[in-house]
Amino acid sequence: MLRIPVKERPDLMRAASENGLDYSTGEGITGWDESAYYQFTLRQIEEDLEGPAEELEGLCFEVVDRAVNNESVLHRLGIPEHFWDYVANSWRTNEKNLYGRMDLSYDGKSPAKLLEYNADTPTALYETAVFQWEWFEQATEMGLIPEGGDQLNDVHESIVQTFPLLGIEGVSHFACNNDIVDDKGTLEYLEECAQEAELETCFLAMEDIGLDEQGRFTDLDDRAITTLVKLYPWEWIMAEEFGRQVPTSGVRFIEPAWKTILSNKGLMPLLWGMFEGHPNLLPAYFEDDPAAATLVDTGSYVRKPLLSRQGANIEIVENSQTHYKSDGPYSEDAHIIQGFQPLPEFEGCYPLVGCWLVASKAVGLCIREDKTLVTSKDSQFVPHIIMN
Amino acid sequence: MKRRSSISVGLMMSVSLIALTACEEPKVEASIYESVTQCKRDPLASAAECEKNFKEARAQHAAVAPKYASKEECIADFGADKCEKAPYRTSSGGSVFMPLMMGYMMGSFIGGRRSMTSQPLYRSAKSPNTFRTADNRSAGSSIGRTRVAKSATSRPSFKNTTRSRGGFGSSGRRFGSAAT
Repeated sequence: MLRIPVKERPDLMRAASENGLDYSTGEGITGWDESAYYQFTLRQIEEDLEGPAEELEGLCFEVVDRAVNNESVLHRLGIPEHFWDYVANSWRTNEKNLYGRMDLSYDGKSPAKLLEYNADTPTALYETAVFQWEWFEQATEMGLIPEGGDQLNDVHESIVQTFPLLGIEGVSHFACNNDIVDDKGTLEYLEECAQEAELETCFLAMEDIGLDEQGRFTDLDDRAITTLVKLYPWEWIMAEEFGRQVPTSGVRFIEPAWKTILSNKGLMPLLWGMFEGHPNLLPAYFEDDPAAATLVDTGSYVRKPLLSRQGANIEIVENSQTHYKSDGPYSEDAHIIQGFQPLPEFEGCYPLVGCWLVASKAVGLCIREDKTLVTSKDSQFVPHIIMN
Repeated sequence: MKRRSSISVGLMMSVSLIALTACEEPKVEASIYESVTQCKRDPLASAAECEKNFKEARAQHAAVAPKYASKEECIADFGADKCEKAPYRTSSGGSVFMPLMMGYMMGSFIGGRRSMTSQPLYRSAKSPNTFRTADNRSAGSSIGRTRVAKSATSRPSFKNTTRSRGGFGSSGRRFGSAAT
């Protein structure tokens, strides 16, 4: 794993505009940095990332299988009781999952460690699937990067191939918070994939979803919604006014409700509890678990809320000193304590390796860099290549 | 993107009239009639099938037809004397209106098996010669045996009065992006 400086493509402004990304003179493309790329060997990709990610996915499924049969686990994850049966049934009836992104700390040498699993509302999808690939093709063609390279990137094809296997009948509705440009862009990309898979689609804002006399959700033409591809977290859905209607609405959700167990940071202690010592896992405990003291006493650990997003409310303690603490709206929520595995440093940058899973297969990589140890919404996407 | 119309009670949405373009959509055989009598006059149709399919389409009409909270709005889309009261009420107890069923479409009889479920058809005020499905897809203007776009033959969606909107979205307004 190397970080290699490289010339930017000369027409970045056009590339940005063709892909609907923000560009400003001087700053370049918002959230994107192609002045360097990461280079992996095929062995690193296959043995250290792809393989472990798919193995971790299997372990995650064992956690879900246990959790849906254990009300104390669902309670501990903060899932409202009203949804326990619904979440359990979504798993027992094999409601299919589309995608997710595992965030890993990986330095190219030691085993990658799972930091968290963005299993419900992962983003940076378009940058991974389309823009990163376009960079790879153009940079190769222009001779900016050596010939003969490759990229772990079957994300687009995999999504298009998976949609028809989800058993969707009729129109698929796509909904998110339309006020957030990035969220809308990500979901519109997913909608395009569904259309490429010849599904009929309809896009609307979460707040425009209606409820009819029969308890069905409706779109703006009063059509009953039967499949909803949402970029909106399950814990929000469950907390909102219409949430209570979800179990009886007859709507098929993508991602399915059981993903709420995996997108919760409580997954990390559950994994550690079942598979303690696994090379790709860090020790982790619920903060109110007495065993958490074993980590706290070492003086080096990370404290994370169960449901924080984009690096909010993360605290890193090293040598008993708080080394980093981010703000956010989740400080009052339940937390986990996780072993501290600092991201590796490459020339003052800390890359977080995201491994994309589509239909539970590891099919893509995205690397986001930050100048701090915590990756957030302001981090930069840096492309990668595979080269032996 | 779907058009959202603003209406008095804030609940009812008129159907958006999709301009169907002449794209290369596959076509399938279908038979379209304005009435059972017209169907029975067709030598290619059997009286029993005419009756049975009409009943099926008629039974779906109230459920699948586009709904309006005001008669004027319905008339604007479908024409004077072309709207009726739907067997529903808005949440505030008001009347609900829908277009009259102007015909029905059934699968072709070829091979002795019907290829699709029959469904009601409507005619809009703007293009009164064209039959439209309840989901606003053109089924052409021919009567009798014809060929229609495959998408027009899919089962029409249920359209009821939406009781309320806005029950989702509050967390998004509070927290912002859903991204992780």
